[in-house]
Amino acid sequence: MASITLENVSKDYGSGVVGVRDMNLTIEDGEFMIFLGPSGCGKSTTLRMIAGLEDISTGRLRIGERDVTRAAPRERNVAVVFQSYALYPHMSVRQNMEFGLKMRGMAPADRAARIEAAADILGLQPYLNRRPAALSGGQRQRVALGRAMVREPDVFLMDEPLSNLDAKLRAEMRLELIKLHRRLGRTTVFVTHDQVEAMTMGDRICIMRDGNLVQVGKPLEVYANPVDTFVAQFLASPQMNLVEARLNGNAGAIELTSDILSFTLPRFLHAAFAKALGRAVIFGLRPEDIHAEPRPGAVPFEASVVAIEALGMENIAILALDQSGKRELSARLGRDFSASIGDRLTFYADVARMHLFDAETTRAFPRGRME
Amino acid sequence: MLRVLSHLGLCLACLIVLLPILWVLRTSLVPESLSYSTSILPAVTFENYASLFADNRFGTNYMNSIIVAAGSVILAMPLAAPTGYAFARFRTSGRAGRFAVLATQMLPPVALALPIFMLYRSLGLTNSLFGLTLVYTAINLPFLTWILMGFFEAVPRDLEGAAMTDGATAFGAFVRVVLPVAAPGIAAAAVLGFIISWNEFLFALILGGPRTATVPVALAALQTSNGVEISKVSAGVSLAILPLMLASRFIQKYLVQGLSFGSVK
Ligand SMILES: Nc1ncnc2c1ncn2[C@@H]1O[C@H](COP(=O)(O)OP(=O)(O)OP(=O)(O)O)[C@@H](O)[C@H]1O
Ligand SMILES: [Mg+2]
Repeated sequence: MASITLENVSKDYGSGVVGVRDMNLTIEDGEFMIFLGPSGCGKSTTLRMIAGLEDISTGRLRIGERDVTRAAPRERNVAVVFQSYALYPHMSVRQNMEFGLKMRGMAPADRAARIEAAADILGLQPYLNRRPAALSGGQRQRVALGRAMVREPDVFLMDEPLSNLDAKLRAEMRLELIKLHRRLGRTTVFVTHDQVEAMTMGDRICIMRDGNLVQVGKPLEVYANPVDTFVAQFLASPQMNLVEARLNGNAGAIELTSDILSFTLPRFLHAAFAKALGRAVIFGLRPEDIHAEPRPGAVPFEASVVAIEALGMENIAILALDQSGKRELSARLGRDFSASIGDRLTFYADVARMHLFDAETTRAFPRGRME
Repeated sequence: MLRVLSHLGLCLACLIVLLPILWVLRTSLVPESLSYSTSILPAVTFENYASLFADNRFGTNYMNSIIVAAGSVILAMPLAAPTGYAFARFRTSGRAGRFAVLATQMLPPVALALPIFMLYRSLGLTNSLFGLTLVYTAINLPFLTWILMGFFEAVPRDLEGAAMTDGATAFGAFVRVVLPVAAPGIAAAAVLGFIISWNEFLFALILGGPRTATVPVALAALQTSNGVEISKVSAGVSLAILPLMLASRFIQKYLVQGLSFGSVK
């Protein structure tokens, strides 16, 4: 059993640099946990502390039932895929993969079998006798993955392991990793910047910012209920549209006013948002909740088309609400949407799917389940 | 055209630097009586080399030099490598420690000569190759430590992380991964240490006797008794710089291939 429990874990690098602040998190046995956050937020630091490569300044870390806060890396049975790959340059690809097995005293025949299997999955057969220096970036990344895979450890720690692969290989490796995880069922922590990886691969996502854990939850739950504007914007591309607004009225009829859009809140949201009455708020709407055709309950508004990113399967339109072009919204429209730059058209905001945040704290007013 | 001109210029510059050395080589091949002649090669003889070994025991001197130079590197390296690694990776003794290593290099050797001579005399270590090797080890240790520190700093930290999560101890990671990766740097440092010992004169003169004289001491001795036998000295100098020339080729070869090429993005 290898759950991972962080209790008030902090990393202080000294001279005022705090890598991770007071982190509490339990990663269940066999869970696939995604770490997501902007550069420098402490993802790698957390991973390195779990691996034992970075001292834990304060707090406790358990893997399974064992307290490993001070245990050496080799006593933790974790395998790390480093952001920098960290392949042994003086060893062939085969020797790179073999090293960890050798160190653990595995018999040569078993080692060879493991390496064969991993090389097949990763397409590394032709390169087994090459040195890392003679490989492309993507091939090196696969060797780094292979070196971790063959170990079949209690815990996989992967620091952006797919970042250097092309789109096709990345999609393939994504599937391979999910399959590997299903087959071995090992606890996995996976750091990524990629929206798709974050949403599709993990059982849960852990979003970090400036060394703090901001939100943990199932991908769709986090997507539906971001705890603040940071998560709302970070976990999607294009980002959620945010507009400063005010809530007025009474429990019977709540009115949202902003210089862009003003409307009466749907009844079913009253209970959730009544607390925000009379306050300065931020109104949030995801790009996919803005439509080009009318639909029941959607609020119409006029805007000019500033830019269109035609992705084939869909069109991302940047809409300007006033002449200054400062107030811009992005809308994810169907593949059939067509307009010229500068067209002034009516769009429809599906406000039933709106989000609401406190303007002062940027925290969300929880809206409950999406209907 | 510009290329030709610049090459000509470079050749000229090389010639200016190399001319004295080439002249030494030339003189070593010329009979003593013709050594000051102005013609380029008045006659060719290996007499000077032969006499060096036959009349002056140059073979013994050469062997002595090889023993103390190689010995001092062999003794210093196993100490310098872990020390340099500790300085590079951990906060071992902080800035003060690093400065202390550097400071030893600033001390003029003469300042140490007398105390060491007194010490050696009471320990009975004068006139012994082992004693001289020990002094050179002491001279090489801080030097090698300092150089190796730079090489170890260039080894990516994640490599040790990988080795340690793969099941190695911290020392195991050092031996199995860091040392092999830093091997070109270690080889280069070893050669530099060898050269320093090879060229050292002061301690070799003070602490040695006829039996333990090294090449620099022997060369100096050629210039005393009955004037300067310039052709013989030239032959000795030619032989003395031979290992240095081999060594510099070697260093070049190893230093150009980067340390950790291919391990990281
Ligand atoms: N060895 C170190 N010494 C001092 N500060 C460090 C050290 N390593 C990381 N930091 C700091 O700790 C913070 C977190 O770094 P970390 O590497 O964990 O970020 P990250 O989330 O992995 O970012 P990225 O997505 O760019 O890899 C950063 O502000 C960084 O500057
Ligand atoms: Mg990182």
